[in-house]
Amino acid sequence: MLDEHRPAPEATSSRSALQLSWLQPPGLLALSFVNFALRFVTLGIYSFWGKTEVRRRIWSAVRIDGEPLQYTGTGKELFLGFLVIFGLVLLPISLASFAIAIYFGPESAANSVFALFLYPLIFILIGIGTYRAQRYRLTRTNWRGIRGGLVGSDLNYAWTYFWSALLVPMTLGWITPWRTTELQKIITRDMRFGDRPFTFTAKPGPLYSSFAVLWFASLFIIIAAFSVIGVNINFEMFQPDAIEQDATDPTEAIKMIAIVYAVLTVAFFCYYLLSAWYRSKAINHFATHTHFEGATFRATVTGLGLVRVAIGNFLINLAGWTVTLMVFLAVLAPVFFLTQGTAVLPSATAGEGVKFAAGVLGALVLVAASGLFAPITQARNARYLIQNLSIDGTVPLGDIAQGEAHKVSRGEGLAQAFDIDGF
Amino acid sequence: MVSDPGSTASFYGRFSDGKTAAATDAEVRLGAKGVEIKLPTSALPLLWPYDTLSAAEPLTEYAIDALLTSTASPGASLFATEGTFARRLAVKAPHLSAHSQRWRHARPWIGVAALIGAVSIAISLLDLSPSHAIATLLPDGAREKLGSHVIASMTGERRVCDDAKGLAALNTLVGKLSKASGSKTQFKVSVVDWDLLNAFAVPGEHIITTRKLIAKAASAEEVAGVLAHEMGHGLDLHPETGLVRAIGLSAGVELMLGGSGGTLANLGVALAALSYSREAERDADTHALRILKNASIPAKGFAGFFRRLQQQEGGFGDSSTGKAFDAISSHPNTSERIAKIEAQGNYPAKPALSPAEWTSLKGICGAPLPGRDDDGDGQDDAPAAKSPTKPPATPQKGDRPKTGRDI
Repeated sequence: MLDEHRPAPEATSSRSALQLSWLQPPGLLALSFVNFALRFVTLGIYSFWGKTEVRRRIWSAVRIDGEPLQYTGTGKELFLGFLVIFGLVLLPISLASFAIAIYFGPESAANSVFALFLYPLIFILIGIGTYRAQRYRLTRTNWRGIRGGLVGSDLNYAWTYFWSALLVPMTLGWITPWRTTELQKIITRDMRFGDRPFTFTAKPGPLYSSFAVLWFASLFIIIAAFSVIGVNINFEMFQPDAIEQDATDPTEAIKMIAIVYAVLTVAFFCYYLLSAWYRSKAINHFATHTHFEGATFRATVTGLGLVRVAIGNFLINLAGWTVTLMVFLAVLAPVFFLTQGTAVLPSATAGEGVKFAAGVLGALVLVAASGLFAPITQARNARYLIQNLSIDGTVPLGDIAQGEAHKVSRGEGLAQAFDIDGF
Repeated sequence: MVSDPGSTASFYGRFSDGKTAAATDAEVRLGAKGVEIKLPTSALPLLWPYDTLSAAEPLTEYAIDALLTSTASPGASLFATEGTFARRLAVKAPHLSAHSQRWRHARPWIGVAALIGAVSIAISLLDLSPSHAIATLLPDGAREKLGSHVIASMTGERRVCDDAKGLAALNTLVGKLSKASGSKTQFKVSVVDWDLLNAFAVPGEHIITTRKLIAKAASAEEVAGVLAHEMGHGLDLHPETGLVRAIGLSAGVELMLGGSGGTLANLGVALAALSYSREAERDADTHALRILKNASIPAKGFAGFFRRLQQQEGGFGDSSTGKAFDAISSHPNTSERIAKIEAQGNYPAKPALSPAEWTSLKGICGAPLPGRDDDGDGQDDAPAAKSPTKPPATPQKGDRPKTGRDI
């Protein structure tokens, strides 16, 4: 039926400018609570389907030329992927480490050897996981029915991820701009929209001046923070009347702790601001060197903008934790009072059963409520990025065909499931 | 492809065939059988029957548009830009609504959750303990290894008291009790130089007790009572069961959280683990009374120890934080325990240790240090030490151990 009525393909020479926009999805707060309730009644297992619905809404909010992205992943895929990762990776690792610790002892040579192999393995697994998660999301992203894809090797990415991470401490961090550029290059060059590749031309060089500012400023912040703390504490201690005072005066101790915390908080905030500024430079740099079919991306992300989003998200999460705590107390409080008097319940054993049930319910509330407002914070992150991203130039949309090389076939069982972002 | 005459409203849409990224304008209607898509290039509309449709986003009452695909035209997609269209479509194709999709995905798991709940209730009603069953399968060697690691992690840098005479007295007492307990394996008891009043049963028939407990005990019978209680835990494999349960629970929570387990969840596990060992405590008390009787040691000391501690500390054994947390603590009410011991009745009994042996046991950690008042009489345990610069009784790190059983 489709073939008879298919619209005539656009002429190959026709190129269109593409406009990126964000259309705020309504109902994310309600969705947060719905997902919480469903996680609660399914012992948390619904989280994979809940996460999928959130992604479907966030993807739909991203508009290219007014038309939405489509997320085609399913909760079942995420769930299977998680089971496979759990069964083939997490469980064997924890069983092995447990067995070795029991059999040889936590301080034995065998345990140290195991740890020596385990940590690099975990690093490589994180690299593989990052790449595969990206691949899963891209193959589950459609625009006008055309799929995205990631066609390279996860091991290649994981290897670069691993050995360059080893060099971070050895170079006192100075490899970081090179490393992030290299990893971004691997991902971007492997990326496809339909049958067309993305190209990446960024060099790490231009990032080094910003990185130097971040590096030296961080050093300065550390030195300044410790000097301020040192001066204050010494000042307090060597004041003439301080010697007379009892050294264990609690108000003095509290004052000193308060000073230390205040200075460290200010120092951390300064560092966070600077690192956000550096990250914004990197994002903008990478965007302007990412090309697709002759068009180029452009990002106008700022450090302050990233910090604003982060602070907003922190406050939203704080509200989430408050709500969680209130629900938790509301569940436990009646039981607590009910079991206070033994007269209320016929036997001690019945009271114990009620308490156990309350314990389980309380634990379930905490499990189900983890990441309560994640739909809202995730949408905020996506919104900020999309609102500060644009595409310069034009793209020959009529020429872009479905990519055959990275076609997603469903139901390949374990091999398929292992490709899923369960990490 | 006959249109429903009642719904002739047409909507604007963008149609993509899925072969290229190009799109074309379309006129869309909600027909009787499906969505009708009229394209400028063809005279007859495309029909996408309602039951073949999928929506990119589940439809809600606040939908602003709808992106549809259909198994009738694989690869193609239709983007209808009006909220009205989306809301009317939700009525014609109810399987696209958010409610029905959520329910469809959650329903099987609600069933699974109900089943798990029913099985858990059955397990607790029938008094089955899967963790205990696994614990009994552990070979003795593994329990022994497990125990020695638990001891190492609990005692840390603390010294194990080893005064020769004290050890001999301790071995006499433990030998009597161990034999009376009927255990295949001899119990091993270590006294740790620890400023904490407690005793723990550890996997592999190990028991740890502390300098402070020996110092606080008024008689060898009191120590015997506490040790017999811990042996009761050991006989029932409570420490092993606790470890298996903790591992099982954290694995379960890990699964439930989709591998993203956090602090909140660990708190949940701790809460769930806090509230189920009163039955175990009662069983250990029952064992203790039997062991004491078999060993011909009077049970009065056991009761006396609890009573004195109840007066001194306002309810030892309930919770170190006092009465308010009784609701979530793991021990039977102290008065209940005393009553049970006293209900035991009299039997022919001899002192647990000779006076000389008892003095030796008291000295197992060496002479008391100046400034310590372990026996709680308000006096310095080392009266010779009258120095004004007495060292404060420094609290040791990790005073609440993670594994093992309290008295």
